[in-house]
Amino acid sequence: MSTLDKVHTSSRPVPHPKRSLITRLHMGTGVVVGVLFAAIAYSLLKNSVLTYTDGVADPLSPHNNNIVLLGAMFAWSIGFMVGIGAFIGPWRWLIGKDLTDEEILYMAGDGQGTKRYFKYCTDHKVVGIQYLVGVMTLLGVGGTMAMMIRTNLARPGGHFVTATVYNSLVGLHGITMIIAMIIVATGPFGNYIMPIMIGAYDMAFPRLNALSWWVLFTAIPVLCSAWFLGGIPTGWTAYAPLSVQAGPGMNAFLATIIIFAVSTAVAGMNITTTVVAMRTKGMKWNRVPIFVIGSTISVALAIPAFPTFMVAMIMTSLDRTFNTGFFDANMGGSGWLYANLFWIMGHPEVYVILIPGVAALMEIAPVFVRKPLFSYNAAIMGFAGIAGLSILVWAHHMYIAGWAPSLNGAFMVTTEMISIPTGLLFLVLIGTMWRGKPWMKLPMLSVIAFIWDFLIGGITGIYLSDVPADGYLHGSMFVTAHFHFTLMGAALTGAIGGLAYWYPKMTGRMLNERAGYISFWFVQIGFNVVFFGMFMAGAEGQPRRVMDYAALYKNSNLISTMGAYSVGIGMIILLWAVIHSWRHGKVAPMNPWGAKTLEWTVPYPVPLTNFDELPVITSDPYGYGKGK
Amino acid sequence: MADHSNEVLAPTPGERLANFFKRKDVARTTVLFFLWTVLFIVLGLFFYPKWMPEIMSKEMKSAESIMIWFTVISAPIAGIVLAITTNAFMNMHRGDTPPEDGPAIRTHGPIVAIWTIGSLVFALVAIAWGLIEINSQAIAAASDAKSAITVEVTGSQWLWTFNYPAQGIETHDLNLPVGVPVIFDVKSADVNHSFWPVQLGVKVDANAQVTTVIHTTPTKIGAIDVKCAELCGLYHAYMETNGAVMSQADFNAWVVAQGGHTA
Repeated sequence: MSTLDKVHTSSRPVPHPKRSLITRLHMGTGVVVGVLFAAIAYSLLKNSVLTYTDGVADPLSPHNNNIVLLGAMFAWSIGFMVGIGAFIGPWRWLIGKDLTDEEILYMAGDGQGTKRYFKYCTDHKVVGIQYLVGVMTLLGVGGTMAMMIRTNLARPGGHFVTATVYNSLVGLHGITMIIAMIIVATGPFGNYIMPIMIGAYDMAFPRLNALSWWVLFTAIPVLCSAWFLGGIPTGWTAYAPLSVQAGPGMNAFLATIIIFAVSTAVAGMNITTTVVAMRTKGMKWNRVPIFVIGSTISVALAIPAFPTFMVAMIMTSLDRTFNTGFFDANMGGSGWLYANLFWIMGHPEVYVILIPGVAALMEIAPVFVRKPLFSYNAAIMGFAGIAGLSILVWAHHMYIAGWAPSLNGAFMVTTEMISIPTGLLFLVLIGTMWRGKPWMKLPMLSVIAFIWDFLIGGITGIYLSDVPADGYLHGSMFVTAHFHFTLMGAALTGAIGGLAYWYPKMTGRMLNERAGYISFWFVQIGFNVVFFGMFMAGAEGQPRRVMDYAALYKNSNLISTMGAYSVGIGMIILLWAVIHSWRHGKVAPMNPWGAKTLEWTVPYPVPLTNFDELPVITSDPYGYGKGK
Repeated sequence: MADHSNEVLAPTPGERLANFFKRKDVARTTVLFFLWTVLFIVLGLFFYPKWMPEIMSKEMKSAESIMIWFTVISAPIAGIVLAITTNAFMNMHRGDTPPEDGPAIRTHGPIVAIWTIGSLVFALVAIAWGLIEINSQAIAAASDAKSAITVEVTGSQWLWTFNYPAQGIETHDLNLPVGVPVIFDVKSADVNHSFWPVQLGVKVDANAQVTTVIHTTPTKIGAIDVKCAELCGLYHAYMETNGAVMSQADFNAWVVAQGGHTA
């Protein structure tokens, strides 16, 4: 905690409601109650047999074991939320009361210093920092798994890990990164920065904001438990019937997604409502910063998309517990049903990930080029067009599934059409840079890197979406390389640019520049090497998700593995820079980049209600430039 | 006599265009545009044929052409985007204070319109190309159906089994006669697999209880690799087998050696 924090907190009375349960609850009590709930659920379910084989109660069936484990996992999540005090408010409503004003102020964490980060804190800035730390942890874990995968694939016949561990690494790397990437921009920046950007005192539903973070938090131990339950064999797509056949570790995957879907639904609804209802006076829709527009479109797209994933996971759980056979063809179900449900979520989801990253870079580019954002309307049309089309393209993941070959042409049309709004995103960025002299700080470097990476991801996407080429490329390493170029090269680069840009506002200090540059080049060069190798392996005919490969693919795989270590080194340097600068970095001025959005008009630490008096907006924040 | 020497004539559109390309940033961007475009064309023409396995069917040829020619036709678009980006990068401002403001260009209607129409045309070319290919493959499959041999493919964890009903044999190697259309009827004995005879450039999932179908015609004699392209559990990586496209005589001899009969 910086000295600035102390000055600020001493300037106003610290609320401390007497005899209120709220003051005694925190993450620790949450863990205790959560574990207690899990233990109770475990022993109750263990001792009550719910499954039958041929009409006879069968306590030893895997179905019964799945019931016990799923029950314990959900009980943990609910118990944790009880133990941290998430339900105190609803309980008061039930008995016809509400929290007192002092309690509400206490829940906002005012004047509690570092302690508030471990409590059910409703301040959007605290939630933003919680998300930032959570995202970095997930990225670190997922990245470590990626290093292990690449180490195993360095040479043909590699047995750095066993087949079971390898398959688990592939699946858990996938789902960890997907979760991390979904929240990577809208979590930290959407919560910390966005309400200030639109001139709001807080989010529309501060308690739901805390709920969304802590529910997500409870999913992390559940996901980790997969390792201790034998891992998952299915990859992150969890295709049925493999997922139905899978061992107890699969329960952890299913429970994680169901819990995560609750969290994203709450967060998405909260962000959307905040932007629609709480913009300050004068902030008409055509004056809203583009990052806010992008984030809102992204989370609004997630609201209809994720429930289908949740439904698919609930149905898989039912197949695994009560033998419902939704996805088991031998019982009259269909694996294609699962694939459809999954990809109806899965394709909008990649744009849920991509759009906030691009929007962050569009926020950055005008500031560093000192020119207005080129064609604000084209940017919005681009995002809206992508979001609209993305709900109509899911079956391009199923061209070769044999499900409905006569629909392949139709899905190819919708998929190729996405290149039009995507092209607008490029136009906005290059139009903004045209005739400018970009101030080449770390955020601006991310814009440059994004353009290259997303271009490669985009062009390779054009032939993957063409049915005849997909007949060869589907399920190969080429696909893996393509989506890493879009999700990592584009979306993660955007998020890192956003971190470098907003770091001074979120921590009060400047991010170490030299470490930032070194990390940037290690990551970007390494990244391009990794996935160049993977494009090569895929074109040569190497399937994805394999733990071993023929000698033919040894060069391409070695290239990939070497690149991966470079990315790993770069990310460690970035992590060091973020942690080190947080405590020891140069103290940041209020507006280090000379930007015109509202978050740069408030001091650090940002006051509890952001603004003493809400600002009035008279123009959009891109009024840079000479002439006109 | 009037003196016209001090009169400034409005430049003609041709002169304006010439002046536009004489501007330093425009000239540099133009050079960069050609460099990047050529680079992408070379990448497409060089890397994919070098990397991809031997072409042993029309479908494989079609897949490779799409990868090469879509790279070539997207090269000018990549060229514009990267030229402007590189030019901006080369113009960079360093130091601890922001640079001076640039020109206040809010938007440029004609450019946005041209860009949108251009990407629409590009998307339509890609769509038309794909639809024509799909159509011609479907027509070929229908007309070849009579003369085709059928191979029933069964995926199981972690083994491919090939049943030739007309020849009355069952094997784990996929051998096919050259020039004869083949219909693969694919199913699974357990979880999802994906049947991928790599050099033939086609692929279809194997599902339990339903049969999926894929057609091709091997056009060249040589070895083929059969792989599984859908994660199917522990030993997915090792679910592969060998095969070959051979002359009709060699195929017949192989069928007989397996205890089958030739038509």
